[in-house]
Amino acid sequence: MKNFLNSFAGFLPLGVLWLGPLGAGLLAVLYGALDEAAWRALFGHPQLWPALALSIGTGTLSLIISVLLAFWIVAGLYGGKLWPGTSGLMGGFLSLPHLAFAIGLGFLITPSGLLARVIGSAAGWAAPPQWVTTQDPYGLSLVAVLVLKEVPFLIWLISAQLARPEVSQLLRGHFRVSQSLGHGGASVWLRVFIPQILPRLKWPLLIVWFYGASVVDVALAIGPTQPPPLSVIVWSDLNNADTAINARGTTGALFLTAALGCLALVFAVLKKAILPSVWRYFTRGPSRRRTPRITSGALLLFFCAVYALVFAVLCVMSIGTLWPYPDLFPSELRWSAWSQFLMSPAPLLNSLSLALASTLAALALAVFWLETVPEKLDAALLACGIAALALPSLLIADGQYLAFLRLGLNGTWLGVFLAHLTPVFAYVFIVLKGPYRAFDPRYRAVALGLNADNYRFWSVVKLAMMKPALAAAAAVGIGVSIAQYVPTQLIAAGRLTTLPVEAVTLASGGSRPLMAVFALMLAVVPATAFIIAARLGRKPL
Amino acid sequence: MKFSRRDLVKAAAAAAFFPLSPKAAFAGNWAALEAEARGQTVYFNAWAGSEAINAYIDWAAELLKARHDVTLLHVKIADAAEVVRRVRDEVKAGKAEGSADLVWINGENFRAMKAGKLLFGPFASALPNFKYVDTAGKPTTLIDFAEPTDGLESPWGMAQLTFFGDGAKISAPPRSMDELVAFAKTNPGRVSYPAPPDFHGTTFVKQALHESIADRSLLALPAERIDFGRAIAPLINFLDGLHPHLWRQGKQFPQSQAQLKQMQADGELLMALTFNPNEPANLIASGALPDTTVAWQYRAGTIGNTHFVAIPINSKARAAAQVVANFLLSPEAQGRKADLKTWGDPTVLASAKLSAEEAKFFGTSVVPGRVAEAAPALPEPHGSWVPLLEKAWLESYGT
Repeated sequence: MKNFLNSFAGFLPLGVLWLGPLGAGLLAVLYGALDEAAWRALFGHPQLWPALALSIGTGTLSLIISVLLAFWIVAGLYGGKLWPGTSGLMGGFLSLPHLAFAIGLGFLITPSGLLARVIGSAAGWAAPPQWVTTQDPYGLSLVAVLVLKEVPFLIWLISAQLARPEVSQLLRGHFRVSQSLGHGGASVWLRVFIPQILPRLKWPLLIVWFYGASVVDVALAIGPTQPPPLSVIVWSDLNNADTAINARGTTGALFLTAALGCLALVFAVLKKAILPSVWRYFTRGPSRRRTPRITSGALLLFFCAVYALVFAVLCVMSIGTLWPYPDLFPSELRWSAWSQFLMSPAPLLNSLSLALASTLAALALAVFWLETVPEKLDAALLACGIAALALPSLLIADGQYLAFLRLGLNGTWLGVFLAHLTPVFAYVFIVLKGPYRAFDPRYRAVALGLNADNYRFWSVVKLAMMKPALAAAAAVGIGVSIAQYVPTQLIAAGRLTTLPVEAVTLASGGSRPLMAVFALMLAVVPATAFIIAARLGRKPL
Repeated sequence: MKFSRRDLVKAAAAAAFFPLSPKAAFAGNWAALEAEARGQTVYFNAWAGSEAINAYIDWAAELLKARHDVTLLHVKIADAAEVVRRVRDEVKAGKAEGSADLVWINGENFRAMKAGKLLFGPFASALPNFKYVDTAGKPTTLIDFAEPTDGLESPWGMAQLTFFGDGAKISAPPRSMDELVAFAKTNPGRVSYPAPPDFHGTTFVKQALHESIADRSLLALPAERIDFGRAIAPLINFLDGLHPHLWRQGKQFPQSQAQLKQMQADGELLMALTFNPNEPANLIASGALPDTTVAWQYRAGTIGNTHFVAIPINSKARAAAQVVANFLLSPEAQGRKADLKTWGDPTVLASAKLSAEEAKFFGTSVVPGRVAEAAPALPEPHGSWVPLLEKAWLESYGT
């Protein structure tokens, strides 16, 4: 009975603050979709099918390219001199949000962007070229942004797997066996390592896939317009003045989710039926192929160069008021955008308060769960967490908007906080679960043997030993909260503006320096959190 | 006016949910209303894509605080449709204390709020400063997209479709839709317009409709009552002829006027369009465009309208919202708004109604980028045309 009460206590805050809002959102969206007219309007939308194809196409293509590039880089660098620095670097890249990156990259590659100016000033072009770069009809620039952002994430995930002692030990053994059978380094990766690592990444890959296929803010900044991806159509429907069109948006969000779900199922079936034979075909015989060290190094360099350029362009853009084509540098530098930003700090303060509060709450909830609920229930919570991350944020946020309306939570700080907590807790729990559960129980026995009570052991010994994991989880939580655009825009009801909301509004309204300031601030906050976390993680106990 | 019994029941229900104080309802006793407004906070939901507009609202907030003890908070939104949705959902959920107290609005959003009985009022004509409004010379201050305002919104500024480009690159700006086609043919890929349903893009399509339709009298009628397909056939025909010469052969369009503007500034496009005739001059003044920029309207006129402020029915600061609306109509506020150095939004007031003292708030300077030859304002088509036009555009050019 006591055990039961204990586990119930672990459930209660989580149920109120996280499972409740998540479940209410999903129920509300299903209830809202019980509208036959809305479905008819959705299927009557002239852009529905091409837009769906675009969503699925860009999401899937970016996933495939990202996975290939990530493994290519890891295979070439793992065990080499560059490897120890790579994973830290990827963590740094990770902290630059998609939206900020898209804004910066956009200015690099548009026909009047920096790249065209460099070529144009050499070739003597009087007017910008008529390139089809950003907003290209096939969404390739959108794919480029997603790939450039997801590869560091995947490398970071793979390196986390490789850093686990049991995994690295296992792989070392396998490596020796394969080498004595005549396989080169690349062959070992292809035949032995990737088949072992990939299944461990199945859920993160699903999240990346669905994210790419349903992203709104990046698609608004750089995606095609006629037709746009389905997520953008759903988004404008949800923000329309007409109830019937709002309902069409709700059904559209559900339809996109269902289409992605079906696709994932088809893939799962195909994987079982076809993949083994395909894989065998590609991995026949021993091969002496070596790991691609040079191309991997070059790829890494390319990523560093793009990130550095994007960051530099954002910095210059933020102070360049007049920057006409074909100048390579603004003709006039002013700090006015920065002073304007500092004069009205509400978006920054709101973003910070939401990020700190939702991260602290998520940490508390996760630790409370891990301390009070038996490990065998972790899998169920993990499934909910993955659902919260894989389901398009459009769907969850629309549902929470509909549900919070009845509770009077829209337009309140509390409502936005709960909406942020949905993805933040999921990430924090996923990051924290492994290290926390792996804690050696013998430390507790030692502490209790030294006459410390349970609380003292927990607060003095365990928390101190868990500090690196807690700090990493906190950094991830802050990064996730800062980047939330869709839920904030819907649920804040205009009452609270945050950094990404302001950045998208500015992208619709034009001041390039101010847009760059917001993009930079979007990056600075999570980067600071990651740096602090890395410091805390390194400190000796 | 005729009331059905159902309307009366609805009104009674509304009154039960949103009890109005008699003072606020009739705005009869202005001094008492001002007293009531003291200490209230007005959440002003207004499009915030422009620094000039945001700075102007900040200026108004400062004066309102000092003179009336009213706190004006600018809720920055990307599209007024968001507010319509929010207010409607709040009212449906029975939330008597809504999140918006004043909305910057016109056209189909106003029509939606009026039809949904989501607006407080009538209040506009009872505002003391309404007496300055040029209702005779600017009939759109009373009729918003063919929809009578009925005092449910108070005029704020005037708008008229205006084109601009760099005079150093354009010698003879196109001054009709037919001239535009010729211009695009000689400059392929250097002309575009924002994709509807962007507001500016829809206005461009309305302009083309106005110039191509066989019988202009149809435009004042509700679209459901006419043969819509036949009415817009010449328009589709015209756009079919124009699009191949546009940016990216008319297969992709800029998403917004802001993007169009940026592309013009960057030299990707030769011309851009705006709904504020003073915007080019304003952009020159702020250093965003070179002073060789020229602005023009079509010879036979361009689509024009008025934008307004309205008070949602569930506002919890109705008295203060009216004080703000009245302040925004004052010669001082209108003069500053019309000043190219601040915003450059044309006034809704009649200069003849102002005293010499009040007229001083309006500058008379001639600056670069002003529309050299003002053209007549053409009326907006009936609001019911908008969704159908947008749908027709999307079906023809959206995929």
